[in-house]
Amino acid sequence: MYGTQSKRDLALEFQSQIPILRPSIHARRANLTVKFQDLYGFTVEGNVDDVNVLNEVREKVRKQGRVWWALEANKGANWYLEPSISEGIALKSSLKFSTLANAITLKRLIRKGIPPLLRPKVWFSLSGAAKKKSTVPESYYNDLSKAVEGKVTPATRQIDHDLPRTFPGHPWLDTPEGHAALRRVLVGYSFRDSDVGYCQGLNYVAALLLLVMKTEEDAFWMLAVLLENVLVNDCYTNNLSGCHVEQRVFKDILVKKCPRIATHLEALDFDVSLVATEWFLCLFSKSLPSETTLRVWDVLFYEGAKVLFHVALAIFKMKEDELLLTHHVGDVINILQKTTHHLFDPDDLLTVAFDKIGSMTTNTISKQRKKQEPAVMAELDQRLRRLNSLKLDDK
Amino acid sequence: MARPGNKIIQAKLVLLGDMGTGKTSLVLRFVKGQFFENQEPTIGAAFFTQILSLQEATVKFDIWDTAGQERYHSLAPMYYRGAAAAVVVFDIASKDTFIRAKKWVEELQRQGNSNLVMALVANKSDLEPSREVDTEEGEEFAQENGMFYIETSAKTAENINDLFYEIAQRLAKACPSKPSTMNLNNEVQHRRKLFCCFG
Ligand SMILES: Nc1nc2c(ncn2[C@@H]2O[C@H](COP(=O)(O)OP(=O)(O)OP(=O)(O)O)[C@@H](O)[C@H]2O)c(=O)[nH]1
Ligand SMILES: [Mg+2]
Repeated sequence: MYGTQSKRDLALEFQSQIPILRPSIHARRANLTVKFQDLYGFTVEGNVDDVNVLNEVREKVRKQGRVWWALEANKGANWYLEPSISEGIALKSSLKFSTLANAITLKRLIRKGIPPLLRPKVWFSLSGAAKKKSTVPESYYNDLSKAVEGKVTPATRQIDHDLPRTFPGHPWLDTPEGHAALRRVLVGYSFRDSDVGYCQGLNYVAALLLLVMKTEEDAFWMLAVLLENVLVNDCYTNNLSGCHVEQRVFKDILVKKCPRIATHLEALDFDVSLVATEWFLCLFSKSLPSETTLRVWDVLFYEGAKVLFHVALAIFKMKEDELLLTHHVGDVINILQKTTHHLFDPDDLLTVAFDKIGSMTTNTISKQRKKQEPAVMAELDQRLRRLNSLKLDDK
Repeated sequence: MARPGNKIIQAKLVLLGDMGTGKTSLVLRFVKGQFFENQEPTIGAAFFTQILSLQEATVKFDIWDTAGQERYHSLAPMYYRGAAAAVVVFDIASKDTFIRAKKWVEELQRQGNSNLVMALVANKSDLEPSREVDTEEGEEFAQENGMFYIETSAKTAENINDLFYEIAQRLAKACPSKPSTMNLNNEVQHRRKLFCCFG
């Protein structure tokens, strides 16, 4: 089995292997596309400007790290992990001023980014994964892995099929150890929740969790808390009904928050779900550069699933002027794809997502979900009946 | 690209079929001439464009390559709605994927566009030694359902261009050169112009 220690070494290796990127003179002159590895070992293609942005981001990450260390020195290590603070936002009214102040500091701090070194610890506590894990015996994950070893189900077959297809070429994920670790996490989860089993898309999410959390067991618990507590129910179960609900809510929010874009896209007959479905199911991991994705996840794990709406809206908002000039579905998609792939500076995205969109409370979003649920269920039901009538006709 | 005086056909094409049958690989081969041993699973769908010039017309394809896993089925209507052409893909080395392909065909026939150009694609023809679906079986099913049948390999590129060429040709035939602007999509309720010609 692949040990915890060696995985940690490997992750450190990624980081030390990557010196400040200096594109060659040739590349600079010709403004060529260059290929390089980012902070998490993913191969990125970009031009010289992108490389410069990534270097700036690295510097910002370092500065942000210093802010976190200074706060630890000031308030004590783990100050942000005290339950009263980490849950402070929800419990505002009943709290002491200092706790409230800490909670506000924490929220702001997290929107500015958790330093990669602290990410495993902070995510694990603030997401509720630690709590979830603490309610079962210490040996839960190991027992689960052992119990399911060698079992074959439709889910395990699909997982096996997808292992080499998950971020192929990645220096750790695409190795026998990487495949084995990802397999154990996904297979373990497929037995924990047989309604979810295995849903394509989770392979990317779990892979990225493994890279961040460094240990398989912690990645497993992050996946569990994500599916069971953070995201809306049934996003990944048999007909993706939760995902359908989120898409409808998103369309409504777009109409409210970006009416000009919504009207224009409507006229082009462009359904935003055509692109947003993948964003929501992969939590942006297939569209945004890795550090930008993880910055989204920083906030997601602390503030909840409404963050996905903020970010999705921001992507449209950032390109409002360009989008309004499009005449064709293909142009819309090209703009959105080019934008997401080049969002190397997470702050460009998150500033729009949280400062320019206006606030959305979890409460209002829950209400909108409730409103959409019956329509989604009716639609899925009608479809099912139509398909069943096809089968009857066969006889 | 377009030849002068030639009509231009804008056509939406959708690929459907079980997971791992090679939908994305077929499109990547056609659009970029690339093939990857480990092609990432598609989530939701991916969009591509490609232009084919024929003698009589220039066809501009808007291609929707959909996700194959069964549970993604519920998203499919969003992608095939208003399509002018549908490519249903199975893997010759897997009987299960052929059964799934048949279901797709049945569903497509119910969605109301009688002009829909449909192709049944038996992909991975390079895996002949592990073939589970006979050519005759595929051909017969295609014929019964008014589709054309073709065996391809995204890996070796065999028949990939022929597949899209044939579709383009059928679209051109279905789209008379006069009147100059025409909407062949008879799904009036969708007020969509995803398949139209202009001379
Ligand atoms: N031998 C062989 N392998 C192929 C061929 N076409 C695709 N593959 C392989 O089959 C696997 C699946 O191909 P994809 O193109 O991702 O299949 P898909 O239908 O798009 O799969 P989903 O996106 O999961 O629905 C990949 O690893 C491809 O390399 C082919 O013609 N021959
Ligand atoms: Mg695919």
